Parts: sequence; C-alpha cells; structure tokens
Amino acid sequence: MAEQGSSTVLQLAPFQSMVDEGFWHRLSSLKLNELGINDSPISITGFYAPCSHSQVSNHLTLLAESLPSTLSELSSEPVISRGNRNRCPVPGLLYNTNTLEDFRALDLQSLLKAEGKKIWEDIHSGNAEKNSALLSRFLLVSFADLKKWSFHYWFAFPALALKPPATCVGLRKASQYFSPETAQSVSAACNEWRNSSLTADVPFFLVSVSSDSQATIRGLHEWDACQAESNELLYGFYDPCHLPNNPGWPLRNLLALICARWNQSSVKFLCYRESRGFADMELSLVGEALISVAEDWKRPENVPDVVGWELNKGKRLPRCISLAKSMDPTRLAVSAA
Amino acid sequence: MVLSQKLHEAFKGTVERITGPRTVSAFKEKGVLSVTEFVSAGDNLVSKCPTWSWEAGEPSKRKPYLPADKQFLITRNVPCLRRAASVEEDYEAAGGEVLLDNEDDDGWLATHGNPKDKKSDEDENLPSMDTLEISSNKPIQSISSYFGGDDDEDIPDMADYQEPDNLIETDAATLQSTYLVAQEPDDDNILRTRTYDVSITYDKYYQTPRVWLTGYDESRMLLQPELVLEDVSQDHARKTVTIEDHPHLPGKHASVHPCRHGAVMKKIIDVLMSRGVEPEVDMYLFLFLKFVASVIPTIEYDYTMDFDLGSSSGS
Repeated sequence: MAEQGSSTVLQLAPFQSMVDEGFWHRLSSLKLNELGINDSPISITGFYAPCSHSQVSNHLTLLAESLPSTLSELSSEPVISRGNRNRCPVPGLLYNTNTLEDFRALDLQSLLKAEGKKIWEDIHSGNAEKNSALLSRFLLVSFADLKKWSFHYWFAFPALALKPPATCVGLRKASQYFSPETAQSVSAACNEWRNSSLTADVPFFLVSVSSDSQATIRGLHEWDACQAESNELLYGFYDPCHLPNNPGWPLRNLLALICARWNQSSVKFLCYRESRGFADMELSLVGEALISVAEDWKRPENVPDVVGWELNKGKRLPRCISLAKSMDPTRLAVSAA
Repeated sequence: MVLSQKLHEAFKGTVERITGPRTVSAFKEKGVLSVTEFVSAGDNLVSKCPTWSWEAGEPSKRKPYLPADKQFLITRNVPCLRRAASVEEDYEAAGGEVLLDNEDDDGWLATHGNPKDKKSDEDENLPSMDTLEISSNKPIQSISSYFGGDDDEDIPDMADYQEPDNLIETDAATLQSTYLVAQEPDDDNILRTRTYDVSITYDKYYQTPRVWLTGYDESRMLLQPELVLEDVSQDHARKTVTIEDHPHLPGKHASVHPCRHGAVMKKIIDVLMSRGVEPEVDMYLFLFLKFVASVIPTIEYDYTMDFDLGSSSGS
C-alpha cells in the first residue's frame, strides 16, 4: 500500500463470512417447527476473533448457537455466554424468506442502509462506546429450500463510508512502530485484556502509552479520561485480517465513531493480531489515518453512505450451499443401507 | 458404510450405554484417560494454547458424564496450505518417512513434527493434481460445486442484483480482493488454502480423545468430508481416518479412529519414561496432538509447548 511517509487512500479488507453446518441445521428445524411461514427478521449473533495466523484471515462465523433454539428465545435478544476469547459476538439480523421469489425481491440496498443507520445512531447516542460490539453489525438474507436442503444466502457487513475516504500514512508492523520496550508493554497489556473474561471479547479499545513506555488498555467509554492525560493514544481493534498492508473491516466504523463523536482528524490505530492466541507485534499493524470529512457529514440526522454486501468470488452474487447429503432423510437412508 | 463397521458401531454404542465412564486413572498403564483426566487435560490445553476452547455443542447430544459447558474442545479456522499428498512427495524425496504405526519404529516424533522448511520452498512445490491419489479417478471440479447444489437454474442471476449506488466494488476505501477476482477457482494457489475446524471429543468406549476434522475451501464453503481425506496422510486416509457422525455437532465429519490411540499413547509414554521423563496427565493432549500431527501433517493447529520430550532430534 503506502510507502512510509506518503499518504494514500486507506483501503480495508472486507470481512469474510463462514457458516458452520450446525447453523443451517438449526435454522431448518426452527423454520419447520417454530417459525412456519413467519418471515419477520430474527436477531442472530455472529462470532469473530483477531487474526491468529499470518496466512489466513479470521472470519465472521455463524454457528448453531448464533440462532435461538426455540420460539420463546426468538422474542428476546439472543443470550450469548460472554467471555470466550475465540467468540467475540457481533450482532446480526437474519431475513429468511419463504420463497426464492421473495429472496430475489429483497431490497438489499435499503436493508443495508437500515443497518448502517443503527450503527450511526449507536455512535451518536454513545451506546457504541459502552458496548463496542455494536460497531460491527452484520446482515444475512437467506432462502432455506427445505425440499432440496439447499440454502441461498448473502451476507453484508455494513460500513459507514467516510467522504472523502480516509488516507493513511506510515502503516507498518507494530514491532517497527513501537520501541522494543513499548512493544513488550503493549503486548503484555493486550494479553491481559484478552485473558480477562470481562474484556476478552470486547473488540475495540484504547491503547494509552505513557512517556516511560508503559501501555495500558482502556474501554472506548474511557476516552474522556484518556484525553486528560498527556499519553500517546492509539485506537485498537481486533483485526480479523492477516494482510501485511491493509487493516481489516472493523476499523471503518471505528473511524466513523472517532470522527463523528470525538471530532478527531488524525487517528493512530492499532490492528491487533495474534499468533497462537497471543499478541503478536510482528503481525499487528500501526498506522495513522487522516480524516477530512465535511462538517455536515458528522451531523446525526445525516446518515452516511453504507457499503458492505459480501462478494462471492469477486462477483455480486449470493452463495448457495446444498446439505442434502447430511439432511435429506431419503439420502441418509440410502447411505446408511 | 461397511457392515462390519456398522456392527461395531452398534456394539460400541451398547457398551457405552451400559458401562460407566472410567474413573480410575490408567494413564501410564494403558495410555487411556478417565473423564476427569480428559477435562483437566483439556483445561490445560485451553490455558496454554488459547486458540482452543471448550464448547457445549448440540444440547440434544450432550453427554451426561461431561460438564455441560465442556463437552468437547475445538480450534477453528486452522490453515492448511497444502495437500498432505504433496507433502509426502517431499518426504519421499528427502529419504522417505517413518510411519508411526510401524511396529519397529519408536522415532514417533522424528519426521512429521518438522516438515522441511515450508516457507522457502513453497513456490517450487505447487501441488500437482495428478499426484493426488484420491482425485486421480475423480477430477477436481470447480470448488463451489462441491456443495453448491446441482440446481444451477435456481441460483439467482447476477443481473438481478444490479445496484445503482454504494457498490463495494467501486468503494475507494474497500480493498478490492485481487486473488479471488484475478484467478480462476481451480487454480492451485486457491485450492491449497483450506481451513479446518479441528475438534477433540472424548470417546467413552476407547477411553481416549478423538480428533474430528471439518474442512472449508478457499471461499470458506464447507468441504465434503471425502475431500478432507486429501489432507490426511495417505497411509491413514480411509484406514484410520473415517467419515462418521460427530458426537456433538450435526453432519458427517472426518475422524481419526481411536482404536489404536491407547496403544500409541502407551508407547509414547513408555518412551518418555525410559528417557527419565515423568509424563503428567495434564500433558496428555499435547502428546496426543503431536502424534495426531503425523496423521494430518499439513493442518497447522496449535499444540506447541516448550517442554522437552527427549525426542530423537533434540536433547
């Protein structure tokens, strides 16, 4: 991307989706036994974790537990046990249609805008600072063909577009940005954050580095307190992306928050990545984003443009998975014979 | 499924139902684990290798003898950058490999734990599709079609989704994926980058842990379990690695059959003890995962711990 020192448009790697077979099994039984023809949207929960390998990104993963198991749980928000470091919850909404025609007729653009608006409102209300998971919402539209046991689906990861886009200077490995002493302190602080069940699944945070190279990590809601100190402040997030020259998707809405809520135009960010489950300053990146949006972009009533429909092998297409082999009773009977 | 295998499953199921779980430790004597030893070894794995976590699985499949929230262990999104078949070519070129099951062999750690430098020679060793035994009579198709359904006419047409504005393809702040667009899906580079969910369950009949594999292709779509066998050492594919129902998750998954696990673990423990290392039961899963790495050499899950096993290469 950028040579050190020069500035280019900050380009972020889109989130990728991954769906566990268990999710489709539970969706099928929910549809058959509980939902019937009711096709109102359902609150679901996706999971992600920081990238933990230099060669593959992490993904937004849906598991059986992403869905409520019964109708009574449907009405409430899904209950997710907190504190699993490998499962940082991301709130999502599922539109499962009854027919393929309904699926095709969905107004994808307005659905995406509606989710972007929620993020925008959570930014302005301050909710996103208290519960930073609200910054990374996702949307899933699907048609479950329970006669053929095939599932058509499409994910969106709504991102608020800065206008003009942010530029980036000096993106480099965290190990190069920090002094060895600071890098060690940042690693230790991050590992502590990741090991505490209270904060292990909190994906956005502040890294405050004192003049004597000591790093502390705080929640976004402690931003005011951090301003009172004279420490260097970096905005950290769990980065699912593994690429050495690009931050991952969650940074987009964090930048929107920093710009709209805290009015910052120069933002140092830390793309937090791990190796074998521990902070890795060689994989983690530090860069500086320069934001120069017009004043009226920040106005709460002015919802920014939203992008985020996932591409399928580079094309604007839904995905389809056929699980007849593991779900179709007749095929199961044949293979068992 | 073969009849004998089915009969055995039925027998095993009955025995599991009528016998209680092992409560007395026989770790050093037989290489097996009691339920509580499995849980404490699992706790140790999760704390030392935090990419692993405990999961509850399907509530309907819950085993009463295990804690509800500690039914099995799983590590997700583990990279598998090349097919096992191509790695074996490397070994053969380098003088052949030592098989773990081989009776004469006690160098169980010697070969697979450290395949020759993968990073530097990766480019020269692009897997050739001709050499994959499994695929030789069943050509590799475009990846999406494995699970992509056979009803192409039902897949909505791209033209239906022309959006007027705010496209991700034209958004300046979106990194336009180069490799997914630029290369066809049947390209070797993409085929290589699979990921796996690796899970460990407790097998009550054999009283050992059991490993399960769920594979995903380069676009993170589920792999057919049969294709998972490409990532299994070819000496084990379809013999010790079979495709069965997962005890806690829906669907068919590839699994390393546990019938010899106790014996192999016993052998490993004996080797350690003969070298004066007193193995702790907490270390069981690390030893176990190290041995499983010989069956699935290219799936890079985490089991590392800096402990000295007195292996033939070290100490």
